[in-house]
Amino acid sequence: MEAEIRNKPSFANVLVRMRAGDGLVAEADAMASMSSSIEMKARMAGGFFTSLVRRVFGKESFFVNEFATQSQGELVLTQPVPGDITSVALNGSTLFLQQGAFLACEPGVQLGVGWAGVASLVGGEGLFRLKASGSGTLWFGAYGGIIEKEVDGELIVDSGHLVAYEPTLSLSMGLAGGLFSSFFSGEGLITRVRGRGKVYLQSRALAGLAAWTNSNIY
Amino acid sequence: MEQATANIVPSAALAQAGLRFDIQHRPDFAILGVKLAPGQKVLAEPSAMATMDPTIELKAGTRGGFGKSLGRLLGGESFIVNTFTAKAGAGEVLLAPGAPGDVVHYRLSGNSLMLQRGSFLAHSDGVDVTGKWQGARGFFSGEGLVLLKAEGSGDLFFNSYGAILEIDVTQGFVVDTGYVVAFEDTLQYNVTIMPGLRPGSKVKSFLFGGEGLVCRFSGRGKVWIQTRTAAPFLRWVHPFRPVQKQNG
Amino acid sequence: MQTEITCRPASSVARITLQAGQSITCEVGAMIAMSPELSVETSSHTKGSSGGFVSGLKRMFAGENFFLNHFTANAADQVLILGPGLMGDIVSHRLNGGSLIVQGSSWLASDPDIELDATFQGLGKALFSGESVFWVRCTGTGDVLLSSFGAIYEVEVNGQYVVDTGHIVAFEDSLQFEMGKASSSLVGSFLGGEGLVCKFNGRGKLYCQSHNPPSFGKLLGPMLKPRSA
Repeated sequence: MEAEIRNKPSFANVLVRMRAGDGLVAEADAMASMSSSIEMKARMAGGFFTSLVRRVFGKESFFVNEFATQSQGELVLTQPVPGDITSVALNGSTLFLQQGAFLACEPGVQLGVGWAGVASLVGGEGLFRLKASGSGTLWFGAYGGIIEKEVDGELIVDSGHLVAYEPTLSLSMGLAGGLFSSFFSGEGLITRVRGRGKVYLQSRALAGLAAWTNSNIY
Repeated sequence: MEQATANIVPSAALAQAGLRFDIQHRPDFAILGVKLAPGQKVLAEPSAMATMDPTIELKAGTRGGFGKSLGRLLGGESFIVNTFTAKAGAGEVLLAPGAPGDVVHYRLSGNSLMLQRGSFLAHSDGVDVTGKWQGARGFFSGEGLVLLKAEGSGDLFFNSYGAILEIDVTQGFVVDTGYVVAFEDTLQYNVTIMPGLRPGSKVKSFLFGGEGLVCRFSGRGKVWIQTRTAAPFLRWVHPFRPVQKQNG
Repeated sequence: MQTEITCRPASSVARITLQAGQSITCEVGAMIAMSPELSVETSSHTKGSSGGFVSGLKRMFAGENFFLNHFTANAADQVLILGPGLMGDIVSHRLNGGSLIVQGSSWLASDPDIELDATFQGLGKALFSGESVFWVRCTGTGDVLLSSFGAIYEVEVNGQYVVDTGHIVAFEDSLQFEMGKASSSLVGSFLGGEGLVCKFNGRGKLYCQSHNPPSFGKLLGPMLKPRSA
């Protein structure tokens, strides 16, 4: 299987060339177009519990699609938001993804959900996080461009800019400044990412777009 | 002359050194990264901070007194300006506007730059941003009668909706008023209704042609235009908004 | 006439250089900026045709504007900068006598010699494909500029090709399309979120957009202030 991420970072989409024997799992509704030689089948995302949590808390689909082919063909995958897509090769490692970030993975990647904690909820990221582990390629997306940062110590992240992070990092909630500044700066609560590992950030936040839109409509 | 600039702020030496910055993900989702030296500052509009190092202190406040703050407010900006200072050592802050689009850097050296409402993102110490009444000609297709004016010496960052194109005006240029982001004060401009070829087509073009008001620039200088305006997006998103519940 | 497309794929604009006497027909409201020696004329029909009111009305049904703008250069090297209203891509398609069927609202501009007409693609297809009932048919010889939401990618169809609803921009009329299910079972199609898809048959060029505007709208909408009913 060959995959190419095109049109980065604004309208990123993945062109996948599949051969007989290749498999791919993608978020429901991710398929934009494909050769007629590709077969698509719906199944639950992980186990029943994972699927349920994804549906209820993550507002994601209960089902994912499985793609396969008897011969060969191509497939274009996309996400609902304009923005970036990146891929990570998992080799027995784990990555935590924010809600809505998952796009696709090879069949060797397991999807599960984990409790992200109250800090995550208050930080605008939701109570649960998606856990991708196993081995194979994982594709995930963001609203805006994706920025990779190696954290060694601490990084302050505004809510809504966090996309994915390695399990060696921990999150806690904090104020952006003093009490006055936190209230008037428009930043309010922030997330402190601590430890040593890689974090994936998005250059823009959907909440920022919503706030800007709301200030321009009546 | 040197003295005058040195009097503006105590940290003028740092301001003159210029900010170390990079702009990633241009032109659609641009994000500004500023690497501050110990003690150095950058000032930004509220809510712009995406991430920062823990060495940086954030303080919300007003700037330039009531008159200038009110001017900014009329220019579509906030009363509040956030100051990021590298208090506990060098550090980086990433700043992103709310609207999808571009970020452009401009170095002010005593001159001034006119900016469309709402397009201010950040500046270094030594730069002042306030509203400037434009009179009747400031009627920028419903964009308001007040433009922003940036002056002083230092770095200025402004943002747009869509990509920003820089145009070097030498023989006049015509821009739909909704697409003007910024222009140098060496240019003159007037706002007119787009004329047509045939007699009477002026009115037709204005009412139905959609071209409406245009800004005619003359003289020499730079104009920055954006490749999209917010209005079509706001019209498009309207049907997706939740419907208000009726009382009773 | 020279066309250069920049800021692809999300903030795309077409920078068109016209020589004295040359002109271009474009969507109303597409002009961003221009040189001073260009004049604009607004009418309900393309330059050569006599379609007038009826063709304007048909275009309206296809999701386009009733009026068209014709820009003509009165001096050498006049620059016209055009762009669509929403974030998205622009591509140029060369027509050599055939026809291109364009999804309503994706037509941006064309050579003045290109004929524009609304074409009916069938009620069922319109209902299920997420597109409008009428499409714009471009015929003749010259360049057509297409716009989209999302990046535009080209597919050379030879046989059959499947496109999810809401991702079609334009296709050559040597292709036909029908509605079908995405998965071998109908239940699987709906569970998988794809529902019905468009199946293209034949041989020809197809332009797709990478993103589906309603998917984005449904995600952003709930975060916005309510509107009055």
